[in-house]
Amino acid sequence: MDSLQNFFMRSPVPATDLAPSLWWIIALPLIGALVIGAAGKRLGRANVNLIASASVAGSFLISLLVFWAINDPRTSAINEVSGSAIRYAVGHDFGTWFAAGDFRVNFGLQVDHLTGIMLLVITGVGFLIHLYSTEYMSHDSAYWRYFAYLNLFVAMMLTLVMADSLILLFVGWEGVGMASYLLIGFWYSDPAKAWAGRKAFVANRVGDFGFLVASFLLVLVIAAFEQEAKPANLSRAAMTVQEFQSGVDRKGPLAFQTLETFAHAMSAAPDSPETAVGPKSEIASGPLAGFSYGGVLTAILLFFLLGATGKSAQLPLYVWLPDAMAGPTPASALIHAATMVTAGVYLFCRLNFLLVFSPTAMAAVTLVGAATALVAALIAFAQDDLKKVLAYSTVSQLGFMFMAAGAGLWWAAIFHLVTHAFFKACLFLGAGSVMHGNAEETNIKRLGGLWKEMPATSWTFLIATLAITGIVPLSGFFSKDAILHGLHQTHLADGLTWAPHLAQRMGQLAAFCTAFYMSRLFILAFLGKRSPDAKVAHAHESGRAMTLPLWALAILSVAALVYGLPLMTSPSGQGEPVFLNFLRPVFAPGMTIAARLDSVVQEDTGGLLAAYFFAWLIALAGGGLAAFLYMKFFPSRVGQVAPAPLLAIRSFTQHKFYVDELYEAVVVKPVKFVSFFLYKVVDALFIDTVMVRGTAWVTQRVGSALRYVQNGNVQAYAALMALAMVGALAYALMKVL
Amino acid sequence: MVPISHFLLLAAALFCIGMLALLVRRNALIVFMGVELMLNAANLTFVAFSRLHGSNVGHVSALFVIAVAAAEAAIGLAIVIAVSRNRGTLLIDELRTMKN
Repeated sequence: MDSLQNFFMRSPVPATDLAPSLWWIIALPLIGALVIGAAGKRLGRANVNLIASASVAGSFLISLLVFWAINDPRTSAINEVSGSAIRYAVGHDFGTWFAAGDFRVNFGLQVDHLTGIMLLVITGVGFLIHLYSTEYMSHDSAYWRYFAYLNLFVAMMLTLVMADSLILLFVGWEGVGMASYLLIGFWYSDPAKAWAGRKAFVANRVGDFGFLVASFLLVLVIAAFEQEAKPANLSRAAMTVQEFQSGVDRKGPLAFQTLETFAHAMSAAPDSPETAVGPKSEIASGPLAGFSYGGVLTAILLFFLLGATGKSAQLPLYVWLPDAMAGPTPASALIHAATMVTAGVYLFCRLNFLLVFSPTAMAAVTLVGAATALVAALIAFAQDDLKKVLAYSTVSQLGFMFMAAGAGLWWAAIFHLVTHAFFKACLFLGAGSVMHGNAEETNIKRLGGLWKEMPATSWTFLIATLAITGIVPLSGFFSKDAILHGLHQTHLADGLTWAPHLAQRMGQLAAFCTAFYMSRLFILAFLGKRSPDAKVAHAHESGRAMTLPLWALAILSVAALVYGLPLMTSPSGQGEPVFLNFLRPVFAPGMTIAARLDSVVQEDTGGLLAAYFFAWLIALAGGGLAAFLYMKFFPSRVGQVAPAPLLAIRSFTQHKFYVDELYEAVVVKPVKFVSFFLYKVVDALFIDTVMVRGTAWVTQRVGSALRYVQNGNVQAYAALMALAMVGALAYALMKVL
Repeated sequence: MVPISHFLLLAAALFCIGMLALLVRRNALIVFMGVELMLNAANLTFVAFSRLHGSNVGHVSALFVIAVAAAEAAIGLAIVIAVSRNRGTLLIDELRTMKN
């Protein structure tokens, strides 16, 4: 056991050797995308499949090496601003990207435990999905475009997680948004599908605006702090103010190392504003003068929340995700289940040291997550489209992750992220397999009886469904309960203690709903008899390239439970989950700063086993209710009409609570009206007709009037000359006299 | 002594009659006569002022004007002959090719 542990903690390649080659992880899929995009059609199907899958597999292998290196206790990177060591991390700064005055952005990559996990998930699940896509897209003539976009997406997502500054993260953030747009609108000749792509991009853009505003405010705050920092702020980090300023100049204000140093300095002595600048101090000069540091940080975090709701499909910007099902199913599995939508959660986990400055923002994040989880779960009740149920399920599970991130349970959020990536990708790929074998049928009312006809798909779908509903002993149970139980133990300051507890209750309700609608989905699609409206009489199971990834992901959904078991020892000597222990180095700054500021505390109220039992009961109750309704109750009342209020509720839920229609009326129509006004009145009428053509018209009329002066009659000209002379004479006389 | 105003008034009257002929008459030759009359009116004014001031400047200017009038008459009549050969008419009303 010890030798096994030693094997995994002694990396064969030292981290310092790996550091300059980190960029290869991003470069391989990017090169793949370029090659396939430029020459894909000529290369042929087999070559394109090979290049695409091999580039992601190559990234996976390098990520494995890097992951091994960061498990080594000897590995550490240097925080270039404060000079302290970052344990279990490897990073490399490739130099300045651009600098303007004293604002600098470096192109730097850093891999710590959090990034390492994300790398493995992205490249691992990404590879499985590439493998799956080789068979899924085998009938499509535009396969090369698909693989180019998929590789581009993987490259951009890797940039996002490896970035060591907010600006480079934003490059990846935008890149995945663009790749998502390209993949959703993949079959662009259908205008509805193209419109779905546009909707995703516009919703993302609203979020990006929030992200940018937050970044700009952050630059201003760091600049103000640089001027006003007192030596007491930096004494804990053993730095002088000059060293801090030169460090910020070298690394740039938006690098994560700078932000972490800033957070530590800001929280050095929060209760004595005379000796050290703290969250309650006022900013003295600059555009933000008059506001307190804490207030500006709250605003920054709320803007980041807006950005995260756009990218991670939370309330109010979740509307693009269900429409995104217009794209190919494996793309949905990768983008809208495993990776892109987790970018918001990743952002908050990365900025954990800033998040703890503002209990208000934390409560906002938690409550947004809880509300989204509940609303999306309720909408999923009445959806008949297989992929739409899974889409709303994704929105709901992301709500869970936000709940955890907002309450300071970042390890639980990432744990749920990983388990969710496994089982949701498995569910989406299973849905794709179902569609592949049933002539692209997605309406579950027209499926049924697939258990015998598609055994591999059915078994993996069952395993993934059990995982998401949270049945012991699958991983989804542990991750979901880590969140819910953790919320129970969270104590937020500033009179916001009610927020995590309310979120926990909403989360439990959402878990019940999750169990219900996922069981409903499984029962209607897989069990029972084949529906008489089905398109094909018998479904055929998919080939190896599709079922192997399904099995791999199903096994991972089960195996990931190990990370939730309390196998490691915490610093206080108790057992703690493997994931919490693994991510402690990453989240330690956030936890120490929270302790100093007294903003959020995880109390150990105990009762873990009782909580586990209760969660298991909720999942069973939800599944049991669905089984009862859909296997006994409804089939026994076929042909009877349901009572009118229930039908009304069902219709309201099926229409997604008319949120899309509300947005259409409140946002889209006014914007369209303004643009119509600007077009018809300002552009067409005012500029075109009045100013441009009007000038020409006036010139023409004056010309045709003046034309009559030139009538060819010499005597008329002479008469005019005589008149002019008389006039001049009169003028001269008047001047003289 | 005849007061200078008599000369000037006579010259002005001649000038106006000449201008009237220029502006109103249709025959090109009559228009030229009007021009000559205007020039002679100017000459009269010059000589009258020269007589008033007792200097010779006016006389010299009058001689200049006569020379210029002669040259102008020569060329003008040549143009009139050319036009009458081309168009067959001397009436200015009908020579409107420069219209518009």
